[in-house]
Amino acid sequence: MTPLFELRDVCFDYDGITALREVSLQIMRGDRLALVGANGSGKSTLLRILDGLCSPSRGSLYFDGQQLTAELLQRDDFALPFRRRVALVFQNPDVQLFNPTVFDEVAFAPLQLGWSKEQLLSRVEQTLEYMRLTALRDRPPYRLSGGEKKRVALASVLVLDPEVLLLDEPTAALDPRSQSQIVDLIQEWKGSSKTVISATHQLEIVEDIADRVLVLEAGQVEAMAPPQEILSNRELLLRANLVHAHRHSHNGVVHSHPHLHSHSKHEH
Amino acid sequence: MHIPDGYLSPSTCGVLYVGAMAGWYSSIKRLKRVLLSRVIPLISVFAAFSFVVMMFNLPLPGGTTGHALGVTIAAIVLGPSGAILALSIALGIQALFFGDGGITTLGANCFNMAIVGSLVAFASYRMIAAGAGLTSRRRVVAAAVAGYLAVNAAALIAAVEFGIQPMLFHDASGTPLYAPYPLRIAIPAMMIGHLTFAGLAEAAISGGLVAYLQVADSGLLRATSGVAADGDLGRSTAPSLRRLWIMIAIFMLLTPLGILAAGTAWGEWSPAQMTQTTASAPSANSAASTVPAGLQRLSNFWTAPFPAYAPAFVKSRSFGYLLSAMFGVGLLLIVSLAARSWAAKSRGKESSA
Amino acid sequence: MSRSFLESTTLGFGRALTRAMLSEETARERGLLQSLDPRVRVLGLFALVLAVTLSHKLVVVAALLAMSVVMAVLSRVTLFTLAKRVWLIVLGFTGVIALPALFLTPGRPVAALGGLVITSQGLHTAALLILRVETAVTLTTLLVLCTPWAHVLKALRALRLPKEAIVMMAMTYRYLFLLVETANQMFESRRSRTVGVLRPEEQRRVAARTAGVLLSKSFALSNDVYMAMQSRGFRGDVQVLSHWRLTMWDWVGLLSFLFAGSLAVWMGR
Repeated sequence: MTPLFELRDVCFDYDGITALREVSLQIMRGDRLALVGANGSGKSTLLRILDGLCSPSRGSLYFDGQQLTAELLQRDDFALPFRRRVALVFQNPDVQLFNPTVFDEVAFAPLQLGWSKEQLLSRVEQTLEYMRLTALRDRPPYRLSGGEKKRVALASVLVLDPEVLLLDEPTAALDPRSQSQIVDLIQEWKGSSKTVISATHQLEIVEDIADRVLVLEAGQVEAMAPPQEILSNRELLLRANLVHAHRHSHNGVVHSHPHLHSHSKHEH
Repeated sequence: MHIPDGYLSPSTCGVLYVGAMAGWYSSIKRLKRVLLSRVIPLISVFAAFSFVVMMFNLPLPGGTTGHALGVTIAAIVLGPSGAILALSIALGIQALFFGDGGITTLGANCFNMAIVGSLVAFASYRMIAAGAGLTSRRRVVAAAVAGYLAVNAAALIAAVEFGIQPMLFHDASGTPLYAPYPLRIAIPAMMIGHLTFAGLAEAAISGGLVAYLQVADSGLLRATSGVAADGDLGRSTAPSLRRLWIMIAIFMLLTPLGILAAGTAWGEWSPAQMTQTTASAPSANSAASTVPAGLQRLSNFWTAPFPAYAPAFVKSRSFGYLLSAMFGVGLLLIVSLAARSWAAKSRGKESSA
Repeated sequence: MSRSFLESTTLGFGRALTRAMLSEETARERGLLQSLDPRVRVLGLFALVLAVTLSHKLVVVAALLAMSVVMAVLSRVTLFTLAKRVWLIVLGFTGVIALPALFLTPGRPVAALGGLVITSQGLHTAALLILRVETAVTLTTLLVLCTPWAHVLKALRALRLPKEAIVMMAMTYRYLFLLVETANQMFESRRSRTVGVLRPEEQRRVAARTAGVLLSKSFALSNDVYMAMQSRGFRGDVQVLSHWRLTMWDWVGLLSFLFAGSLAVWMGR
């Protein structure tokens, strides 16, 4: 079976910095993959390359057997179906919410892809309902909370019913309830034909959203394995700057060992 | 400096709208060629940025405060076309949404601040900073001076627009119908405020921003520095062409000033005027009191379409002047463009803009 | 003076935000203007602004102002709001500019004020200028108060303005508030770290640095927005959605506007 995505020795440099170093991997249809790494490890860059927004400086990228190049994306007959099949949700929702109202935002992608008006309107309504945004349809983006913005950002790509979802830090900077809503949503897609690739530095959600974890450090692939294996590898996590070790106290006992902090919990 | 509705007559507004549209059109064409589809997010975000800069209440030497325009830094970072569009959009939103500046006068405001402002800023910056390194102090000074000049140029044009209103547009009893002050009051009144406050504010923010960018993000200065990434100097032909356009537009606007001059220019008499003139001139040679026969015969040979520079259907003399000026320039343009493309075609090459 | 720069600028920011809020609230009310199609509103109110500029008679402009006030009241915009947001501001600005015209305009004297002579032409021209500006700004303010910005832009699009211009204005407006907020936050954090009074040069440096950071962020933002647009299928030719139908009431409204405007121009010539 042809992999949906295949990267061969992909490198990406900009401004003298190497963001990605010889990344090779295969992603099959239906995979749920988590890219983990500290900030600056190259996760966002990798997602953007997968979405055809940046071209690799060296190496090659294949989508469904075809090599994805800038020239190929210039062609309408390739680009329009590609944009429908592959969707990227950016880390910063303000980047993705550039339309005057929520409704316009969700309608943007179908509009650009040339859908008919009836199809567009019914699908947008459907998506707004699915993401519980119907009440907010006429709101401008600056009047939305962080969680609402994230839901609109998701809605703006889900309206296309894409095959591949690239999520850049889907739960970052969200309150616990919004976080769990997003995680629930991603779990709903388990077992469906949707391929979900999420980039995150929040290890506590990794088990819920992925079957395979790819660890990135300074642009290089450090490891790729199921979540339990990665999460139990303390040394790897320390090296990749995903956990830290410092002196702290529990029940009056002072000690130090690798652990990770999350918003409200402190786990060992 | 944002001119509200009611200060300029509809014909003045119309002419300036035409001028502004020419600027917008050529800017969009140029930008699309260079930036393609990136124009939309780049100009939009930059327009938002200019808007915010316009809100800064800057402290000035002397204890006062003033507002800058942001046109200079726009011209330095985006180049003149980008600056024209970004500032025009910011002005449009200010007029429409915030009531700062009129709708009928939006063309005038964009012409003065976005177009003339950007061009003067860009041209002066390039001239003063020519050859200087990206991080040299001369660029900071160039930006400050360019800002000062740009704001005052815009103010001067606005002052002229104000100043010609009472003379051209008044009712039978002499009441000015729009801006009430003639040139000799309008110009000093406008310029004093800008030579001191607004000009300094713009100079301060432009110089300050360039100084900051030299340290923090010098790549943003590269596009208009004339220094390409590999060290080659960029071309600078386009700005001078547009400057020419602007000069033409300005002179067109100034044509109604001709009405001020009394009488007819020497030698441009009709036969009737000639007899009158020579009859009233004390001269030893009285044979000149009749019109030469040849002159008389030929004087009816050609009747101009617009006698006295006013098409028959236009009642207002000044508007007639403006119309004739536009028509004349337009004719010249068409003829020269036609000649250019004919020459290019006959050379077998495609003419490039 | 030090705090005044940061404070007065942030005040300006706040004003922009409140204006947007007010506009949204009023646009949701059920009043005369709100009941008309946005295109009719835009065309009609612009036509009246043009009529204001074309009329030469004081009494006609005053009539147009009266008409605007009536429309305002029927559209749930209080006179207090208009006075606060339009009339007093215009009076402060244009009033000051028009004042010397009382004395400087040549013509028939009607009064004397401590050595200075007021002419009837001066009175007339000052009144005309002030009334014109008041009326025009009242009309544009009404349009914006009663129409969500998104609809204003869509109406302009329907009136054949180029769609790139419309999309850019929409995006500028949208990111305006983001940048204002970012600048605000930078100022707030600076203020909290300021002890005592900043010298003017330092204030200017703060301004330049804030603007500089804002500029870099703006650039990065525009790059990211461009990628986000491409990711969702934007390929240079932006498509916009329009879904308004004109009803009988809209036609009535439009014709009324155009009639009033034409009448004003004809009577005011």
